[in-house]
Amino acid sequence: MLRYSLHPFLIRYMTKIEEIIEAFQEADYQETLAMLLDYSESLPKLPEKYIEQRNSGFNRVPECETPVFVWIEISDGLVHIDADVPEESPTVRGFVSLLVDSFNGATPEEVESAPLNLVHNLGLDQKLGTRRMFGLSAVYNRIKSGVKAASGIQ
Amino acid sequence: MAEYVHPEVLVSTQWVADHANDPNVRIVESDEDVLLYEVGHIENAIKIDWQTDLQDQLIRDYIDKEKFEKLLSEKGISNDSTVVFYGDKSNWWACYAMWVFKLFGHENCLIMNGGRQKWIEEERPITKDVPNFPATDYKVSGTNDAIRAFRDDVVTHIGSGNPLIDVRSPKEFSGELLHMEAYPQEGALRGGHIPGADNVPWATAANEDGTFKSADDLQSIYMEGKGLKEGDDIIAYCRIGERSSHTWFVLTYLLGFKDVKNYDGSWTEWGNLVKAPIEK
Repeated sequence: MLRYSLHPFLIRYMTKIEEIIEAFQEADYQETLAMLLDYSESLPKLPEKYIEQRNSGFNRVPECETPVFVWIEISDGLVHIDADVPEESPTVRGFVSLLVDSFNGATPEEVESAPLNLVHNLGLDQKLGTRRMFGLSAVYNRIKSGVKAASGIQ
Repeated sequence: MAEYVHPEVLVSTQWVADHANDPNVRIVESDEDVLLYEVGHIENAIKIDWQTDLQDQLIRDYIDKEKFEKLLSEKGISNDSTVVFYGDKSNWWACYAMWVFKLFGHENCLIMNGGRQKWIEEERPITKDVPNFPATDYKVSGTNDAIRAFRDDVVTHIGSGNPLIDVRSPKEFSGELLHMEAYPQEGALRGGHIPGADNVPWATAANEDGTFKSADDLQSIYMEGKGLKEGDDIIAYCRIGERSSHTWFVLTYLLGFKDVKNYDGSWTEWGNLVKAPIEK
């Protein structure tokens, strides 16, 4: 179902990330965990072509304690992200899977316009505790700046 | 060969498997990752989260007596339950949860040696089923302040030259970093350590498989290595008091020191305190 947002000057469809933010904002603690767990379990497998790079430590997000690996491509004007996060770190894995799901197939401009403090917009800091959120924000910033760099947005 | 001073507080994965349906035993999982329990846990294990359950959400402190009583009553833990803790990261968070239980005077607390990692590596079964134990009427009779240090206690402690163990990584101790390598550098305005502290990173006490090192190894690390001796009054600290709970457990139960405190304010308090003395 396509949702749309009302804006004083225009009516437009909600982006996927906006829909996800809305769902998280309405969720309680247990529902938040359940959604993150679903995402964690549905992160697409890392394509064969990246496995060697990952094993050699390339494309790791350095600020995150959990080993998170991200590859970003723009093809035909649309974003494509591949990522790998260990199953033993389900919170980070779920969050990365959420980003992959939200941004794959989006335009670079949509990623650029996603909220600066997504972790807060999703309510994760409030529900899961602020001390856990630094790694998530780091991964998010890396993906946003990676998309920006790959697409050449100024 | 030396023995642990209180070997009875450590139980094996097999012991936990044998007691999963023992009504006098409550198994508690406490992890750094808030979602690990949901991925799957030991049969009949209860989740207690260090941050959302045990910490006050407004003031920098633990929950109060009433909230602790309510939490344990709802989880089906009674005053005479034997509580066995386990978790990720070599039981780092399990020790933290146990320390909070001890602050509220819970008598029978055990740690499952090796934690979640060992249980999974042994390919023991896990479940997503959440147990629903009958509620209890848990009562806290008194708090055990002897295991918690506040900053003024630390000031007095260093003034009298008592041993202080900084369990952070060497680069945090030297002031080069404000948090473990690869963790975001947040939380303190100054780097370094409390004057007089000795550096023994917490994980020095853990084996690769998440179990605790042997009594011989622990003695050579803390006693021969750092000069701790029987009768010492010791304070351990880290960044927020979590890693140092692991060391508190090791010093108290495995090496048998009778007066060990965890300074939970740790570096995120000391490194922000105006005029607090710092060494680099």
